[in-house]
Amino acid sequence: MAHRARLPLDLSLADGVRPRRWMPTLAAGLSIGEYARSLVRRLAFLSAVLVAAIWALDGQGYFWPAWAWLGLGDLVLLDFAADWAWRQPRGAVRRVACVWALVGAAAVILVFTWLLTWLLAGVHTFWPAWALLGLATAGSAYSLIALHDRVLVARGRRALRARIDMLTRTRRQAVDAQAAELRRIERDLHDGAQARLVALTLQLGRAELRVQDQPEIRGLILDAQREAHHAIAELRDLARGIVPPLLADRGLVAAVQSLAARYGLGTAIEVDTYRGLAPAVESAAYFVIAEALTNTVKHADAQRSWVLLRDEYRALAVIVGDDGCGGADPRGSGLAGLRARVEALDGSLQVQSPRAGGTVLEVRLPCG
Amino acid sequence: MRVVIAEDLALLREGLVALLRENQIEVVAQVEDAPSLLRAIAGHEPDLAIIDVRLPPTYSDEGLLAAIEARRRQPALGVLVLSQYVETAYASELIGEDTAGIGYLLKERVGDVRAFMDALHSVAAGGTVLDRQVVAELLAPRDGATQALSGLTARERDVLALMAEGRSNAAIAESLFVTSGAIEKHITNIFAKLDLPACDEDHRRVLAVLAYLRVSR
Repeated sequence: MAHRARLPLDLSLADGVRPRRWMPTLAAGLSIGEYARSLVRRLAFLSAVLVAAIWALDGQGYFWPAWAWLGLGDLVLLDFAADWAWRQPRGAVRRVACVWALVGAAAVILVFTWLLTWLLAGVHTFWPAWALLGLATAGSAYSLIALHDRVLVARGRRALRARIDMLTRTRRQAVDAQAAELRRIERDLHDGAQARLVALTLQLGRAELRVQDQPEIRGLILDAQREAHHAIAELRDLARGIVPPLLADRGLVAAVQSLAARYGLGTAIEVDTYRGLAPAVESAAYFVIAEALTNTVKHADAQRSWVLLRDEYRALAVIVGDDGCGGADPRGSGLAGLRARVEALDGSLQVQSPRAGGTVLEVRLPCG
Repeated sequence: MRVVIAEDLALLREGLVALLRENQIEVVAQVEDAPSLLRAIAGHEPDLAIIDVRLPPTYSDEGLLAAIEARRRQPALGVLVLSQYVETAYASELIGEDTAGIGYLLKERVGDVRAFMDALHSVAAGGTVLDRQVVAELLAPRDGATQALSGLTARERDVLALMAEGRSNAAIAESLFVTSGAIEKHITNIFAKLDLPACDEDHRRVLAVLAYLRVSR
């Protein structure tokens, strides 16, 4: 009865159970429209039986009640067609459905009329052929015009969805590839350029021992060695900024423990994660925690500080909190940088930092 | 002195071998990865192993783990771990319960040949050598230790740092341009202020200082 409320004649009473009676009554809770329709269906059935009985009593002969049946059937057919059309979604689809209900009903009436002329009057040509063709053409033409936009929009929407899926996938691939590449660069810096510079300082050291008696050359060698040391230190800082070595070597938990120890806040670390993390997720989680702990040390004046790493459904939750003075600015540059980093992974970042109410940073990073 | 070297970069490994040979130190084996290191140590029974932290195949911390394992198998073996970066966590693991014959240095320290040779001999003789960066990180101002450490004078802090690096009194005196007697006075003051048990042996002294620094984190 879901369609009932949309009928123009809907004067419905309270929804009730339809009684299984031969003649429906208004008191059963039907709308006037439904009452009229069921009355028409039953009267049509009654009339059909009645004309058949009259024909039988009248001495039979030419079976004229078939024509009466056709007329009564048309009524019922139109009723069902209208009902079906009215159930379609509002708008263009319903308009097209109305047209097809009319076309369909007309076609059925034509075919049945031809059937009777063939059976009762012996007409052999299929005369409704052109009329049916015309009806079908008209219906199709109307549908095409009315639904044209809809088809285009649906196709556009499908294309958009496919594009979003593709972009999401390729962006994640790009972020993962970038993280893997950064790790490779970190490793190359340590084991490539930096190691070669170390070998260089070693050779310079050996050379220096051989020219003890030539202060000028010795001075030049020591200068060169100093430069090499600066270069090594710069490379080390660069590599650490890309990926801290402990994170690359031993993973997130060890790196966070070392980080917390370095800040000396007595940070409580709770780890409840067992999944293997992609380098991109691991790095993002690490830098979130590093930034949060830095802020705690710099601004919070906190007694307690904690870090929680937790597996959630298809995500890693990183929660860093303190009981300090609160009032962190969520639009500060540090947090904005973190947000960009987290959002690149389709993650979310929330900061709660009421004045004098501590600060809690919650980050969720989708994985797998 | 008989030495085993584990370093995957040939250029650096060969440089080290040449350096040691020039200084009349016998290199009995040079290897590229952790399993061959353990085999070489078992086969040659060297006095000292010089080990790079990152070794193949994963280039993470195999060298460190191999050093710890080698020490477990042969407690008398001196190990000098070289690394491109310092991690206090690694230093703590390496030191464990016994600082005798342990060294942890940044790789570039090999450039200062004389100091590197001193470190080598010191570790082989059962001493302790910690890179000054590790010590600096341990001494960095932190909530726990800051209070006690702030009771020290600047000079005493310098002496403490050099002690933690494993330097002898004479070496500390030399690098601070004072007499050995003055250093001994400073050390007595430091031990009194930090309430540390007095001890003579250098590596025991380092252990006490490190234990203090770690506990007060």
